[in-house]
Amino acid sequence: MIAQQLLNGLFLGAVYALFAVGYTLVFGVLDILNLAHAAIFTAAAFAAFSLAAAGVPLPLAFLGAAVLAGIMGILLDRVAFAPLRARNAGTLVPLISSIGVAIIIGAILRGIYGVDERHFTVGGLDTAPVIRLGPLTFTTVELTIFLAAIVLMLVLSWILRATTLGRRIRAVAEDRVAAALLGVDLERTIAATFFIASSLGGAAGVLTGLEYNSVTLDMGGPIELKGLAVIILGGMGSVTGAVIGGFILGAVETLAIAYGLSAWRDAVLFGVMFLLLVARPTGLFGKRALRAA
Amino acid sequence: MSALLDFYAKHSRLIDQIGVNAILALSLSVSLQAGQLALAQAAFMGIAAYVSTILAVNAHWPLFATIAVAVLASTVVAALLAYPVRRLRGVFLAIATIGFGEIVRVVANNLSITGGAEGISSIPNDATTPVIYGALVLVGLTLFVLSRTKFALAVALVREDEYAARGVGVDVGTIRTLSLALGGAIAGLGGALYAHASFFITPTDFGFQRMEQILVWCVVGGVTSPLGALLGATVLSILPEAIRFLADYREITNGVILLAVILFAPGGLSSLWRRGTIRVRV
Amino acid sequence: MNRNTVPALALLAIAALVAPSGAASKGPAAGKTVHVGVIADVTGGAGVYGTPQKNAYELANEDVKSGKIDAGGANLVFDVQDSATDPAQAVNLMQKFTTDGQTPIVLGPTLSGEAFRAFPIAKAANFPVMGTSTTAEGVTAIGPTVFRDSLAESQVIPTTVKRTHDKWHYKTAAIIYGDDNAFTKTDGDVFARELKAAGIDVVDTETFHIKDTDFQAALTRIESKHPDVIAIGALFPEATKIIQQAGKLGIKAHMMGGNGLNSPEMYSVAGPAAQGTVVGAAWFSGAIYPSNVDFVKHYTAKYGKGPDQFAAQSYAAAQIVAFLVARGATTKDEMTAGLKNVRVIQTVLGPIGFDPNRDVKSSPVILSIVKDGFAYFH
Repeated sequence: MIAQQLLNGLFLGAVYALFAVGYTLVFGVLDILNLAHAAIFTAAAFAAFSLAAAGVPLPLAFLGAAVLAGIMGILLDRVAFAPLRARNAGTLVPLISSIGVAIIIGAILRGIYGVDERHFTVGGLDTAPVIRLGPLTFTTVELTIFLAAIVLMLVLSWILRATTLGRRIRAVAEDRVAAALLGVDLERTIAATFFIASSLGGAAGVLTGLEYNSVTLDMGGPIELKGLAVIILGGMGSVTGAVIGGFILGAVETLAIAYGLSAWRDAVLFGVMFLLLVARPTGLFGKRALRAA
Repeated sequence: MSALLDFYAKHSRLIDQIGVNAILALSLSVSLQAGQLALAQAAFMGIAAYVSTILAVNAHWPLFATIAVAVLASTVVAALLAYPVRRLRGVFLAIATIGFGEIVRVVANNLSITGGAEGISSIPNDATTPVIYGALVLVGLTLFVLSRTKFALAVALVREDEYAARGVGVDVGTIRTLSLALGGAIAGLGGALYAHASFFITPTDFGFQRMEQILVWCVVGGVTSPLGALLGATVLSILPEAIRFLADYREITNGVILLAVILFAPGGLSSLWRRGTIRVRV
Repeated sequence: MNRNTVPALALLAIAALVAPSGAASKGPAAGKTVHVGVIADVTGGAGVYGTPQKNAYELANEDVKSGKIDAGGANLVFDVQDSATDPAQAVNLMQKFTTDGQTPIVLGPTLSGEAFRAFPIAKAANFPVMGTSTTAEGVTAIGPTVFRDSLAESQVIPTTVKRTHDKWHYKTAAIIYGDDNAFTKTDGDVFARELKAAGIDVVDTETFHIKDTDFQAALTRIESKHPDVIAIGALFPEATKIIQQAGKLGIKAHMMGGNGLNSPEMYSVAGPAAQGTVVGAAWFSGAIYPSNVDFVKHYTAKYGKGPDQFAAQSYAAAQIVAFLVARGATTKDEMTAGLKNVRVIQTVLGPIGFDPNRDVKSSPVILSIVKDGFAYFH
């Protein structure tokens, strides 16, 4: 049973990690918590649903929705963050403007799609072959989703390490002023960061929608707070940390249930996070100095 | 006069909500003034709400006695919480305290004395308008008196530059603990009044959504002064009812107004008439 | 006379022309405008439940005009206001309706947690209210003017357990329920009580949170205890995923649940794994009461999908109010008296009345999920 539970945790963790990677990227570069990330996650799932319903094959619908989510991310920055950045408004005020955008996205989605749960009717998701491997049971859909999440995170890691854009993003994250002095175009780099972060968050949304074959208005609710826990576990701004944090979260959640603690699941999760923070005030992989308030 | 009474008869619940919400916003503004992004207000509120409710419903204590014990409980919890989080700053502090809030909610959800998810109903509805606004005035006066003391000076120093504060002999740990405890006390007062003004409480009343709401009130009003908290809580409590005529467009308008206000006045509503005088970064 | 009388009479004249013969009668309230307050969570987390309620009242508004619902010639209007899944808004709306001087009764709010806050205000004003989905224990005990037309889980689940046990003769059971919602928590408690009372060994109890999407960890644990039957205390969005994932994990135990599983899309969403799951409910979409057949047909035509139980119970509330208005009840005291004295009203839920505790008097239906819908469980 524990083997199956760990597998359950692994599948869950991959999507948590993908979501959190985008969350933490924005934080790493801009020092802001983007509470509209979950709204974009949801919007992308609906976009993929609409594309699939219009006859677009699922892999293309997935990519299309991720690109749309990326564009939404750039718009989000222009509307909610850029004006405040220009006025040096600190870190708390953008948090609130992102809540405003999240409300607006939610209201628009409700206007377009209504309150009913949506399902992918094509692609044979419900009839996907079930694989039984010794004590383990999983579907090809789950396996595909897991692999897609891993591939996307590897691509991100490659972009950050090996491309000019990646070097620019890391430079801006390290020291915005110095990066600007060295000739990095701040606004373009930030826009690229938002595109990448939001398309990854959107991809996580589509994969979640596909995994449970369910797209709902409030699907982003639970992951919003858990995503915060994940990036804290990993150390804010650390992409590797967010990935590992995602898998830890998936494991903690399923193991809490496996050991009969389902009613206390969230308390276990946030308890672990709280203790980790107390022990390591900047997270597992946080390299930053104490952040002055 | 009769028009006024008529207005009150039709809107007394909203008026009471504004009073309670203003107290909750003030409680957070105390932490923010001290430069601490500690977001456990909903948890302090919940602890006090449950203590006060259980004493009133199970032990039939009178209102003011339940409030006194409830406020004591939330104050002690807040002061105790200050110790483990003493090394945390900024968003790390924010998220550790949000995590603490989630733990409190899950505990309330699993205990039998709190009624779990089914909550506690039939709470005496004895937090009347005079009681609520009396408490609000009391909180306001306390904060005003405190603002004239050395404590306020030390708080401002810690907020602006912790190292400099240490340099001039301010005990930063004590100041942080005291401001968290004060915020916990005020949040507890708000929570106890909330319970005694709404007949019913349930753990979801004190979750992340409530915390987010209190934070939004504070920031929209302006975090530089307690007046901002009052203003934000008042305006945003009235807003959903004021735009009810928009029917299907109410939800999106709510979001647009929030976004517009924050973009137009990043320093909060209270900064509009004294724009540019104080700038505090939290 | 009020200023709405003339248009109301004109409407009545039109209604009389288009209505099926004999449908619209002329009662003591003919020509009067009766404004009914409705509080529903159209937006926010409970929007998925409040929206079908709003739809049902909008359909009822049309049906009153056309004479399909007989309001005795009165201009009966259901004014649906959104409480946005915010208890404070439900409270403010209750105060608005009870003090506006033109509303004789309020229907809703959607959730029991909102009802526990809003109904005491109605009680203090000696004002009649009727819940249509507030199933928690103690709701009607709030006061002598508080009614509900929804069967509580405690009225549905005992029959469900008895009927399934009679047929399946199971010895062990597991329970999975949502522990952060009053409705699903009640499910969990009542299932535990009834299963134990029937001498069944509850080998495992798992909980989840509302809006969870992955139940495989809990289901894997349940399966390791090999129960004969799994009792599900969930609302539709979670229930479909529980059933679907149980199927995926190869769990063969029988499954059963309460009102929360009574949605027309149960099969199309949960898939073949749902077949045979037993659902104890207050309403069957395929029931052949004449008004129900019409209601299902017109609702489906208007909204492009079939009604769920939330819609049905709201439409039934509209029928009950219309019944009272047709007999002359236009003030709050007349409404209260009418509800207290009513014996049997024909509604989409079947013939119903109220017991001395003001809870609905009707019997649950025990259904079984079949391909593309439900059938009676035999």
